[in-house]
Amino acid sequence: MKWSEEVRDGAIVASPKGKIDESTALGFGTDLEGAVASAAEASIKLVVDCAGIDYMSSRGLRALTLAKRKADGAGVKIILAAPNQIVREILAISRYDKLFGVTETVDAALAA
Amino acid sequence: MLVRFWGTRGSLAVAQAAGSIRSKIARALVAAKGRHFADEADAAAFVEDELDFATGGTYGGATTCIEIEATAGDGSFIVCDFGTGSREFGISAFARMAAGHARVFNVFMSHLHWDHIGGFPFFGPAFDPGSTIVIHSGHADVEQAFRRQQDEISFPVAFDWLRAKIEFRVLAAGETYRIGGLDVEVMEQQHSHKSYGYRFTDSAGKVAVFSTDSEHKIESMEGEADVANFFREADLVICDTMYSLADAVSMKEDWGHSSNIVAIDICHEARAKRLALFHHEPIYSDDDIQRMHQESIRYEELTRRDDSLEVLCAYDGLEVRL
Ligand SMILES: [Zn+2]
Ligand SMILES: [Zn+2]
Repeated sequence: MKWSEEVRDGAIVASPKGKIDESTALGFGTDLEGAVASAAEASIKLVVDCAGIDYMSSRGLRALTLAKRKADGAGVKIILAAPNQIVREILAISRYDKLFGVTETVDAALAA
Repeated sequence: MLVRFWGTRGSLAVAQAAGSIRSKIARALVAAKGRHFADEADAAAFVEDELDFATGGTYGGATTCIEIEATAGDGSFIVCDFGTGSREFGISAFARMAAGHARVFNVFMSHLHWDHIGGFPFFGPAFDPGSTIVIHSGHADVEQAFRRQQDEISFPVAFDWLRAKIEFRVLAAGETYRIGGLDVEVMEQQHSHKSYGYRFTDSAGKVAVFSTDSEHKIESMEGEADVANFFREADLVICDTMYSLADAVSMKEDWGHSSNIVAIDICHEARAKRLALFHHEPIYSDDDIQRMHQESIRYEELTRRDDSLEVLCAYDGLEVRL
């Protein structure tokens, strides 16, 4: 898993790449919570650009939940943007598409 | 080794009502498209081969009870849990004992909640003076739970009136025991008042793991490596998969249950061969459970590594030969 982030149009756009499973979820969670803290400091939202994520197991999903708890506490909104077909299916099967806002594109998330 | 499921529902026994049977029949008739069947066997073959399980069958509604027939065991019955499915098992056991099966039962209790002990007062062999029932549990208060259930305020037959020889044995988590001709390893699990998982290995080297009412807490995901180790290369893992992951980490957090996708992830990590989805949510219809099963199979495909994991969905009456 590779992580990069930038500030764009009044949001932090984070772009994790690779697969997120039990071997990479810990680092993913740490990076995610770091981005939540930065977003909280700047009082802006966090868009996770999922386009580069190959697949995500329950470890990654649960890291998202841990980050969302911190984000909710700090008033930061997390939006999942542009998941590939596999990640989209996993979000549906786990019902995570009911816990998180999911958008087709990063632009749609920025506009949301 | 043969694993037979007598009860697969969680929390509360449920039964199909008239409306659900009516819609199954209606759906079957539509699927038959006016076809003529020569006899009932011909029609049964159509049900078996051409209808989906939720239309042609049912997952059942009895609460947890599983039987393991070990290869080269000591001849005793090996059972997990005394949910309401154990009533039916008791009837089957009587028939087999009449045909010469040993009148000895080794029962392993996941824990002592109603859905896991509620069949015991209706378990026929408990009334049989020739039977011996050994109830193994990780809980030191196991005997209290069984006796209290039959207090006069709750049940007309007191525990002391039962005629079988009934013993309680407390097992320690982390230990491996030789019971009933099997190696039995015990694991403590996260659940209200704790629960215990059991790993059974028979003389042929076949392994079945019974792990129900086990929450895999979001704050302690590193601990799942221990669970994966307990499931290691098992031929069958029976897992509590009551909720979706989203429910298990939000509204139903701390309710003591797990999800289909966490079970699949841990089984993948453990390189287990088969997973049986188990402890079904009582509000789920057969269609709901079937959908959950299909989604679980799909998730397994999406996240598969080197070896595939066969994802079964337990139902009352399912037999799995390992
Ligand atoms: Zn239960
Ligand atoms: Zn329970």
